[in-house]
Amino acid sequence: MMQLLLLLAISPLISGLIKTLKARMQTRRGPGVLQFYRDLYKLFRKGMVIPDTASWIFTAAPYIVFVTTLMAGLMLPMTSTKAPLDLFGGVLAIVYLLGLGRFFLALAGMDTGSSFGGLGSSREMTISALAEPAMMLAVFTVAIAANSTNLSEVARSAVGQNWRFFAPAQMLACAALYLVLIAETGRIPVDNPATHLELTMVHEAMILEYSGPHLALIEWAASMKQLVLMTLLVNVFWPFGLASGPSVPGALGGLGWLLLKLGLLSCSIVLVETTNAKLRLFRVPEMLAVAFTLGTLALVSTFLF
Amino acid sequence: MVSLLEDLRNRFGGAIGAIRAETAHQLAIALNSPDVRAIAGHLRDHWASRVAAVFAEDRTAAEGVFYNHYVFEQAGNPCYLILEAPVPAHDPRFPSLAAELPAVNWQEREIQDWFGLEATGHPNPRRVALHDNWPDVHPLRKDFALDQELPPFEGEQHVYRPTLGEGVFQIPVGPVHAGIIEPGHFNFAVAGEPILYLQLRMFYTHKGTEKLFEHIPIPRAVFLAESISGDSAFSHGTAFCQAIERAAEIEVPPRAHVMRTILLELERIYNHIADIGAISNDVGFVIANAHAGRVRELVLNLNEALTGSRLLRGMVSVGGVRRDWSRAQRDLLRDAMGGMESEFRDLVALVKSSDSTQDRLERTGILTPEKARMLGIVGVGGRASGVDLDVRRDHPYAAYGRYPLRVPVYEAGDVCHRMQVRIEEVGESFGLIRAAAGDLPDGEHCAPPQPIPPDRCALSAVEGWRGEILHWVRTAPGNRLERCKIKDPSVNNWPALVEAVQGNIIADFPVINKSFNLSYSGTDR
Repeated sequence: MMQLLLLLAISPLISGLIKTLKARMQTRRGPGVLQFYRDLYKLFRKGMVIPDTASWIFTAAPYIVFVTTLMAGLMLPMTSTKAPLDLFGGVLAIVYLLGLGRFFLALAGMDTGSSFGGLGSSREMTISALAEPAMMLAVFTVAIAANSTNLSEVARSAVGQNWRFFAPAQMLACAALYLVLIAETGRIPVDNPATHLELTMVHEAMILEYSGPHLALIEWAASMKQLVLMTLLVNVFWPFGLASGPSVPGALGGLGWLLLKLGLLSCSIVLVETTNAKLRLFRVPEMLAVAFTLGTLALVSTFLF
Repeated sequence: MVSLLEDLRNRFGGAIGAIRAETAHQLAIALNSPDVRAIAGHLRDHWASRVAAVFAEDRTAAEGVFYNHYVFEQAGNPCYLILEAPVPAHDPRFPSLAAELPAVNWQEREIQDWFGLEATGHPNPRRVALHDNWPDVHPLRKDFALDQELPPFEGEQHVYRPTLGEGVFQIPVGPVHAGIIEPGHFNFAVAGEPILYLQLRMFYTHKGTEKLFEHIPIPRAVFLAESISGDSAFSHGTAFCQAIERAAEIEVPPRAHVMRTILLELERIYNHIADIGAISNDVGFVIANAHAGRVRELVLNLNEALTGSRLLRGMVSVGGVRRDWSRAQRDLLRDAMGGMESEFRDLVALVKSSDSTQDRLERTGILTPEKARMLGIVGVGGRASGVDLDVRRDHPYAAYGRYPLRVPVYEAGDVCHRMQVRIEEVGESFGLIRAAAGDLPDGEHCAPPQPIPPDRCALSAVEGWRGEILHWVRTAPGNRLERCKIKDPSVNNWPALVEAVQGNIIADFPVINKSFNLSYSGTDR
């Protein structure tokens, strides 16, 4: 229950934090870190425009995306090593729950018949088809080290051996997952979340036809997906501060550590976004090929060292 | 020049009537028939000339004919050559040059729309300026009243070239866009990401500007000229005032010439800096745009201090400039230059140091020199594609010609080099302003007002920051105009975009478009 609230509550904070930091890096004042909450509040109170050409997929997709992302988040150890839904699935379930959400979002993008939606869907699927294998290799590396694909197990074993992340396999897998994180959350250099140019969009082009509460659900889900992937990265590779049991001080300490780690990761994302231009669309596969190679090397080096 | 005229007389003696030097900057050759194909071909092939503009004029009331004016510019000749071809009112047709000279494609179709003169043999004689839903009227004819009411808009009737083929899709973009830009419709045919072809549709912001010029007194018309294209307010204003000054033989004081030069260069600087930022922004290198916005602001503040207007409006006037500069303003100009220049150098260093940005810009949106010449591309887009034209050097006006000016020309024709041309031009502009500010003559800043004599023709050219701006006027009694033709460089350059995007991926279109950054309002008028 607590993790459910945590996912819903702090995901907009992280998105807001990244936006604010980015603005500061660009010599702008930018919106406050709470702006995302205000945007959600505003969107939920608005009416919706649903295209005449849209089928039930268009209406269902926001709920599917929201629920699958939330479920994925519940399988993840956030403040303690015990994930709420760890009995239902491990890291593979997370990858494919996110995949299910993306599948419906891509369908919804094409559903309206708008040319931008189709453009965005085709780009999103191209990118994710390449990001997914790289992500799988990275998570297999840690799964092998922990002898389990269940993330609670992985986290427990990682907490046990505190400096394990200096192992070559771990570092390579971490780098691979970082590249996947940037691709999957639609950040520069893969996608520009702040652009107004429809022709260059990936994720934003898919959801161009959404408005009101539907848009709020999708934006919120995207923000949660970002939180899930970031948490996966920080908690699997740097498990500091994860509480080992359900106690109040442990949970608070775990939350503090989590926020600190997420904050640092946000800073690094902002640095990457500010110092890079967006890649040419056909260069994105090259970047993901690097992630895939890193993942492969990580897996191989698990057996070598 | 004499030899050119002799050559024309020898070859086309029967077709040529009077030759008049209307002003020191133009030579008008009256022809006997509407057919200029032979002469135009000869000028192009043997006299290295290009058509700078084509436009018509309704002289049916005075002379019973329409005139087509063909403005030719010969390389190395500071004087423009204007062919005047009469088109009889009872048989309103003229042979089209568009098949031979694609540069006149849109302009000939404009003549069809505005004047109802048919360009026979035009490869694509469809409407361009008046959209297909307009009734059969010709607004620039004298018998079309300014306040004539037209039926309301009843829906789009334009038929686009069909998008056919397995896996080929049509992506319509605009005319209303997501950013704060003007309206224009881009119709792409794409095979996946690569663009097969682009169809353009402009003239959504047509305001009847040329018609309006014929109905307001000249002092007010200066303000109208300033609003032809908002970011070129001073260039268009200067081009217009210069045309009137040439027609009326008004002696502009030297101080005004130098002040105009400085302001023209400030306009170039602030727009080029904005473009450098916008190009970076479109490839996701937002930080460069943030800094470009900051540096541009320095220039805009200086503009305001010098003229009272950030975008240099209301400063130029017939005979000179409206306000003189005080000692303090001149000091401010001198002191501001150093800071702006070093800020600009930092901005350029930032853009150039970003490998990922350079990777996006290089070899993107290539316009080959052959195509650029064929389409008559001018300005920044032309100079990046080997078209070595610059009005400041070729037809000096204001105080140009007194100070050294290097015109950057590249052959590569990609987005990167269009940016490079801008970067180097800003450097040249700083040099020009420095030289001009140090050499500001004493004296009047404006010639005293005087009546404008009727029925004088004058052509005026200004190198706006986008390229060659042409204004052609024929004066009328009572400080008014009989006709005012405006040619913004964007009219020439829009078709270049169609060529430059072919084969690129659709995600790169915005940055290619931004690298030309053409004016919708200046095209549509």
